Amino acid sequence: MSSILRLIWFDLKQELNPPVWIIMEWVTFGLQLGIFGALISQLVTGISDYLQFYAVGFVVMMTFEIASHTGRHFVEHAHEGRLPYLLSLPIPRWKLFLSVALQGATELALLITVPLLVTLALIGNLTAVSVTAAVATLFWLGFGVAGLMLALSFIAFRSTDLYTAIVTGLSTIIIRFSTVLYPLIFLPRAYVGPALFSPLTYGSDLVRLFLGFDPSLLLDPGTAAVVLTALAVSTLGLGVLLLQRLVEGVKSA
Amino acid sequence: MVLLGPNGSGKTTLLLILATVLKPSSGSARVMGLDVVAQPTRVRQILGTAFQEARGFWRHKPAEILRFHATICGVPKDKRETRIEQVMKDLELWDARNKLFMHLSGGQTKRVEVAKLLVQRPSFAIFDEPTSQVDLRGKRTIWEHIRQLTEEGSTVLVATNEVREAEYLADRITVLDLGQNVVCDTVKRLKDSISGGDIVELEVDGPLDKDMVDQVGRLEGTVRVAAVGENQLRAYVSMAEAWVPKMTSLCYENNTKLVSVRVTEPSLDDVFLHFTGKALGAVTSS
Repeated sequence: MSSILRLIWFDLKQELNPPVWIIMEWVTFGLQLGIFGALISQLVTGISDYLQFYAVGFVVMMTFEIASHTGRHFVEHAHEGRLPYLLSLPIPRWKLFLSVALQGATELALLITVPLLVTLALIGNLTAVSVTAAVATLFWLGFGVAGLMLALSFIAFRSTDLYTAIVTGLSTIIIRFSTVLYPLIFLPRAYVGPALFSPLTYGSDLVRLFLGFDPSLLLDPGTAAVVLTALAVSTLGLGVLLLQRLVEGVKSA
Repeated sequence: MVLLGPNGSGKTTLLLILATVLKPSSGSARVMGLDVVAQPTRVRQILGTAFQEARGFWRHKPAEILRFHATICGVPKDKRETRIEQVMKDLELWDARNKLFMHLSGGQTKRVEVAKLLVQRPSFAIFDEPTSQVDLRGKRTIWEHIRQLTEEGSTVLVATNEVREAEYLADRITVLDLGQNVVCDTVKRLKDSISGGDIVELEVDGPLDKDMVDQVGRLEGTVRVAAVGENQLRAYVSMAEAWVPKMTSLCYENNTKLVSVRVTEPSLDDVFLHFTGKALGAVTSS
């Protein structure tokens, strides 16, 4: 276990030295919520306290972006020449992959702590159980998204440009066609079909349910939990399987 | 042991297979009796690798990198800091210990890469071009430390395309070309194996024509002749002291003015040329 913790800490130091990225994420959240969120909440009339709805949606979006960054980060390591070094260290491969997953989770925790606390304070009147369930959902969603990016990384081992293009395109579609900012029942009909294929739809609706939002605006929580679990298990499993086969055939650029 | 070969000859690929970073597409490889595919974790426990280019540590300091490496490779806690400090001082990294890796020069990053193994002191150490980008004084320091590692009982494998480095570090040399092991032996035996052990390098005033090269090739005692430039010729000969007067007479008869004549023993460059038919500096095309 100690080697896993050392790997996580060594990698995390990159982000903390200095912690510019973390602070930038917090500032972005503050500006987005304080300016755009405040303005749009004046315009939206169908949902009471839209600012709270928006804040949760933005935290879910951040979770998605951080988790997909973790997946992409691993691919970057392969091409930067850092992965060969990690692969040469005297630790089993499963520990290396576990450290990547846990490092992503730690990074996620660091980055969303402040935005999440602000959101929870905005909503107020919450129990420890509901907050824990919401946080667990965010992490579960994060694992699924990171797994998705890892599973797609086989493309990067052929062409990083193609991988970047596909991941950027996919991320845009997943975010836009989802319920992160608006409930499914308010979305235009053309958006509903694609939104049901977005993991963010299930992630954001389940988080909102735990945080006490009106259930009539949200998807069935059972379905959401099943979809998120299926996503996390399948993509992480596939990602690790693919990487175990691919990673040792990659030379740094 | 030194792996000698030009760029693209397969040195790094072989080292990465031994380091269990790449899996062999066919065949098998063993490190000190351990199979790299069947027992990769055990191989990594006895092995250390200094890669050709140290990359990906941008926001870490050299001391942090060495401390992490030493800890994860199991260097005892009581020896860790002393070794790190000593190696950093020896490799002239001490003054840069608090700089971020991304602010180090190319030579300094290479020293950090080498320093990892000098701190680790593995049973089997792999160095991939350990002194590329390093200045001459730094090269000598690194070579001395690699030798010291061997003297302390480590098995050292160095990949290089620098002849001087190979001469300094090798007890045995494997010549690689196009992914194939061309020959493997001690430095002395490889040099001795070149027929016509003396090398005579000639420089003439003006371009050498093919007829003149052919005539030199037919001189008694000539084993092989290679044109190495427009007006330079390298001849592998037996008994240079008897061959040189014949060659000067030939030049006189052909009205060719000699600018210089140099007699040397074969270098590893010549060994490579002898076994592969091409100069070490030439880039392998496929």
